[in-house]
Amino acid sequence: MRRWLPWIVAAIVMLILPHVFAGGFGLSLLNRMAIAIVFALSFNMLLGQGGMLDFGHAIMLGFGGFLAMHAMRLAGLGWYIPTPLLPLVGAAGGFVMALLTGWIATRRDRTAFAMITLGLAELVVAVVLMFPSLFGGEEGINGDRSDGPRLLGFDFGTQGQAYHVLAFWAWLCALLMWRYTLTPLGRLANAVRDNAERVGFLGYDPARVRFRVYVLSGLFAGIAGGMQAINDEIMTSANIGSEASGAVLLMTFIGGIGTFWGPVLGAVLIVLLQVALGTVTDAWQLYSGLLFVSMVVWAPGGLSGILLAHAPVVRAGRLGRLLPDYARLVPGFVLTLAGVAALSELGFRLEAIRGGASAGRVLGLPIVATEAWPWLVATALFLTGAWLLRRTFPAARAAWQEAAQ
Amino acid sequence: MSGLVVTDLRKSFGSLEIIKGVNLSIAKGERHAVIGPNGAGKSTLFHLITGRFPASAGRIMLDGADITGKSAHDIFRAGLARSFQVTSLFPKLSVFENLRCGAMRTHGAGMSVLRLLSGYRALAEQAEATMEALGLAHRRDVQAGSLAYAEQRALEIGVAIAGGAHTILLDEPTAGMSRAETERAVSLIRKVTEGRTLVMIEHDLGVVFDLADRISVLADGQVIASGPPAEVRGHPAVRSAYLGTAAEVLA
Repeated sequence: MRRWLPWIVAAIVMLILPHVFAGGFGLSLLNRMAIAIVFALSFNMLLGQGGMLDFGHAIMLGFGGFLAMHAMRLAGLGWYIPTPLLPLVGAAGGFVMALLTGWIATRRDRTAFAMITLGLAELVVAVVLMFPSLFGGEEGINGDRSDGPRLLGFDFGTQGQAYHVLAFWAWLCALLMWRYTLTPLGRLANAVRDNAERVGFLGYDPARVRFRVYVLSGLFAGIAGGMQAINDEIMTSANIGSEASGAVLLMTFIGGIGTFWGPVLGAVLIVLLQVALGTVTDAWQLYSGLLFVSMVVWAPGGLSGILLAHAPVVRAGRLGRLLPDYARLVPGFVLTLAGVAALSELGFRLEAIRGGASAGRVLGLPIVATEAWPWLVATALFLTGAWLLRRTFPAARAAWQEAAQ
Repeated sequence: MSGLVVTDLRKSFGSLEIIKGVNLSIAKGERHAVIGPNGAGKSTLFHLITGRFPASAGRIMLDGADITGKSAHDIFRAGLARSFQVTSLFPKLSVFENLRCGAMRTHGAGMSVLRLLSGYRALAEQAEATMEALGLAHRRDVQAGSLAYAEQRALEIGVAIAGGAHTILLDEPTAGMSRAETERAVSLIRKVTEGRTLVMIEHDLGVVFDLADRISVLADGQVIASGPPAEVRGHPAVRSAYLGTAAEVLA
């Protein structure tokens, strides 16, 4: 019963959320999170659980999405295809794409696997652009989700109705992917990640284990594609390309690949960053990139890794002891962040002014990016922050080590 | 002919021949030790038998079935399991999960995604029982990667035997162990290989003469003597090829 509790709580939270964030902005945020959660969890079936770094994961989402998009258009022509079932069409698309690409990619592991997926992804994007009648070329193909048959009086045209469809699929897929971790294949995937050769001497062909995991992961990525088709009502070649594949790697890693729920954290955070920062700055990708690099270097366990490292501290009731040392990190952290943000925004503004824009504002302040002093101040902020962090970090680490014992 | 029979087995890497026509006949239920100086080709012989490398020539029969050229996982399914000289575990999985992976295939758990692992009761019991026999029950949920060296070596043997294979190849099971740990490992190996065929590479001659029913001496890619311990001990070719330095141990 206890293992079901998180799922029941998650379902209740997901039912309450649209009432808290009832506006169109809030709902579109939630919808994108639901898609990203399924996509990131499917990605981590490969990376965290199976030791496979897939550089082309979006081809499975994209292909599933295109297939679902076509199904949506058929529904518009009178076919009986209920909109809430479009993710199943996406699943079929992801499954087929994974069969085709996995058949080649999973013969190898590690670096070779990663390189094959990169090549296959480029190949698939090229093919997609070569058949504009099927994939709509650069413009993509669009549809209308309210064209499908009504179910219980709903046509799923509103964002609120779409949210409930997407939330249902996100919850169900997360549950199924969690259940998968408790099956023989789920455990064999971990074993292949840790030591593929030994798996061979225990009676399983490691390449076949990888293939099955890859295909299953592709199926879930395809569901995410079907969800995206419902939400966006358009699929373009960008949804299938390397940028989308990079984004899922980013969010999964930032959330943490060492736990099942890490990618959920990452998906929620990155979608928030995209949307929240996207409205105030053009440089949001730069910030998520910096966050990613910082994580890889200083916290390879991701957010879930950081949280998990504090579990023993919390259990021992010693979290309070850490707070003074952690609080001392804040000034350095804030200054570094301010310096980085100022430098990035100054750079963007400078480029805009060179392109003929007015001096405008930087970080909401009347700062002119062509002058020297803002650059000096920003650099000073960054350097002071970094210096402070370097000084305060060892004490914080030591405090954690002591408390975690 | 039952048991493990190796006929005129050869293996070359490039122009270098490592295994130069090995003949071995190990009866069912026999405990057989392969000894020989470093570089004699003992580990290579194991790799050939267990399908890690393909043989260049020759034949390997297991219980009358030809396993030459088969893949490692097919050979395991034919009933042959092995351990490694360099510990080869699943470092991020717990002791229990390592053993469960070792026994999974034998308990009919394929690559299923429909049944839960917890539903395979006999599999869990087998893993628990092996853990008990290894003396690792108190380390059940510890990651294999954070075990002490001797514990990892014990688990290495455990993963090989957990599946209940009828033929077990152990590559230097006691390497790097202290006297007490070795004694413990020997009694463990004796216990778990009861009624099974055991082939082991071992440098500790005390262990060899304690455990083995028969001994084969491998030198420069060939078996130069094979027989019961007493016979091998006195064999002149053996003394000159290998036991020269260790003669006092045997005296």
